[in-house]
Amino acid sequence: MSLGSHMLHLSVILFAAIFTDNILLARFLGMCSFLSVSRQVKTAVGLGFAVVFVMTFTITLDWFAYRFVLQPYGIEYFRFILFIVIIAAFVQFVEMAIERYSPVLYHNLGIFLPLITVNCAILGASLFMVIRDYNLAEGIAFGFGSGAGWMLAIVAMAGIRERLNNARIPKGLQGPGITLIIAGIMALAFIGFTGVLSGG
Amino acid sequence: MKKSPQQRKLERLLQSSKFSASGFMGTDRRGLWEIIDEDAAEIAKRGKTMEEVAARMQQLTDLAEQGLGDWIQVSKNLHVAVDDNRGMIPCPWPHRVRCMKRITTARHIPSNTGVRWSDLNIHLIKEHGFFEGKGSPFRIEPGVLIDIIFSKD
Amino acid sequence: MVPLFIALAIISGIGALLAATLVFAERVISNYGDVEVDINKGNKKLAMKGGGSLLETLTAQKIFIPSACGGRGTCGYCKVKVLEGAGPLLPTEEPYMDAEERSSGVRLSCQVKLRNDLKIELPAELLTIKEYVSVCEEIIDYTYDTKQFRLRLTDGQHMKYTPGQYVQVLAPQYEKSSEEVYRAYSISSDPADQAAIELIIRRVPDGICTTYLFDYLKVGDKVRINGPYGQFYLRDTTAPIIFIAGGSGIAPMKCILHNMKNTNNDRRAVFFFGIRTTKDLFLAEEMTRFETQLAQFKFVPVVSQPEPGAEWAGVTGRVTHIAEDYLRKQGNAHEHEGYLCGSPGMIESSIGILKKLGITEDKIYYDKFS
Repeated sequence: MSLGSHMLHLSVILFAAIFTDNILLARFLGMCSFLSVSRQVKTAVGLGFAVVFVMTFTITLDWFAYRFVLQPYGIEYFRFILFIVIIAAFVQFVEMAIERYSPVLYHNLGIFLPLITVNCAILGASLFMVIRDYNLAEGIAFGFGSGAGWMLAIVAMAGIRERLNNARIPKGLQGPGITLIIAGIMALAFIGFTGVLSGG
Repeated sequence: MKKSPQQRKLERLLQSSKFSASGFMGTDRRGLWEIIDEDAAEIAKRGKTMEEVAARMQQLTDLAEQGLGDWIQVSKNLHVAVDDNRGMIPCPWPHRVRCMKRITTARHIPSNTGVRWSDLNIHLIKEHGFFEGKGSPFRIEPGVLIDIIFSKD
Repeated sequence: MVPLFIALAIISGIGALLAATLVFAERVISNYGDVEVDINKGNKKLAMKGGGSLLETLTAQKIFIPSACGGRGTCGYCKVKVLEGAGPLLPTEEPYMDAEERSSGVRLSCQVKLRNDLKIELPAELLTIKEYVSVCEEIIDYTYDTKQFRLRLTDGQHMKYTPGQYVQVLAPQYEKSSEEVYRAYSISSDPADQAAIELIIRRVPDGICTTYLFDYLKVGDKVRINGPYGQFYLRDTTAPIIFIAGGSGIAPMKCILHNMKNTNNDRRAVFFFGIRTTKDLFLAEEMTRFETQLAQFKFVPVVSQPEPGAEWAGVTGRVTHIAEDYLRKQGNAHEHEGYLCGSPGMIESSIGILKKLGITEDKIYYDKFS
């Protein structure tokens, strides 16, 4: 493969992860924080950046762990445990580091980090990386793309919900009810991207 | 009647001593909504509304306030006085209302009867139709209250 | 495929390695070492362990910064001026700061982390606020609804307070209250003895703290208090004084008068004490004694509505009106300093009268407590 077609291949993976195969709206992973932290655009952006950051790095770490530990010993069936442990340790470590070295960043991003440890989208991205047999560069592109796609979805949702504050919503639908309906409609809209790109 | 979790929580708060030492329910065995309904019926029977009653109480408190603790003669036989205490007491309903711990006493001379209320009582009656449970230190009997504050002479 | 136990060993090994990394990181990255907090330009220097918030570290050192939310950054009460070493203002603090506070370095102490040496400025009174355990030594009935409580500090402690200040009393959980509450009461005792304090307290109908003090507290019981607080104290001038108090508002005045006697203060002072009926009068003898002990002090109890048949030879009327009449006759009304303590209504109406007579607001002193 030439460098040019290689780059094209990577960008296809990247954009597929953002749009056609959006981890939130096509795979419905990471729903809990999507529903609970999407009240304001400002916090949604903060959480979105944290997810992009953590996803990109944990997918890299997980790739190394998978390629150099699990595969050589033939113990791929332990990937769930190992990936989760790595994600948790990484998040803890990053939290400590930015708390120490950048208080402002910590207050913008750090408060979301513990929330992310238990976000299934992070683990899901790593597992997709294994299933699709990505190499390192593809994995990183996919991790970054998935994070960006998740962020796009939550920021869009927060934007809609901020407007909902001025809307008259039937009592029984207020809160999670209307949010789930919107998530469904957004997912339908994202189906429109199907076939535009193929991340395979 | 089945109660919602909010209603149960409110009843628990009213029974507790989170706001006042004896709580708002006193020894009343009736539920909150029963108390409110029965008192509302009594008020209606006297041809008054909660707003009118609360407005008259507020008017008397405002008059009494000018006395700084002394008895003020409102009409020939109706005397009122306030007693200020320091601090504020919050309304147990889930909104941010706080009232002064100010107590107004009204006395009807010929019948030698009296009734007292706090600023919080006025709010509870006006907004929530709640006269507190029997046995509560600040329970107000709607009938007695109307007799005194709307006395003709 | 390797045997299961080797697989387990590999996974456990990686887990242990990550755990060790985290422990190591915690030691290195989250270890801020000991930091020094300099309070009021070298007045007091505290060496403390870094890493915690300024608020919790100061609290651990028994310096109580007022805070209502418990350090979550939602009440905005725990403001402290940080002169050096706090880093930039955080987004969590911004909503609570006005432009002047921003430029002068005011911070929310619950949001400031101790990562390096700090220089901070605190109001001097915060440094003297402490928590004390006391024993109730004596309860005196003054009237049907007012009592005096004498509390002796344990372990031979003394409370350094300025006469006129108040303390907060903790009412613990008891039969009628499921949680602890603090209420503020002025100190009334002779400041010559700082090993014990007296409080004059009127019963609040169904009040949580006064019900505890009146119906449950017995001589010999322990009472937790903290303080002293407040800006209500006698200013060091030569201006004539007018005290106006109602009911238990006599407490801080009594403390101030004791102190005037102790220091041979011969300023002109008159004390109008307002009560409703003769049954509400107390401490009259003590006050009359001050009249003989102090060079220029006069005590005027004012009964507003003596009960029918009561023998009352003293002044009758509204205390604020009587004080107004007195000041008008003085000719130099505007030179007076006004000291007020009583119900919010009485204080408000007294302020109105004093201002009308030409006393400026900065010469009128009172405590709002809440």
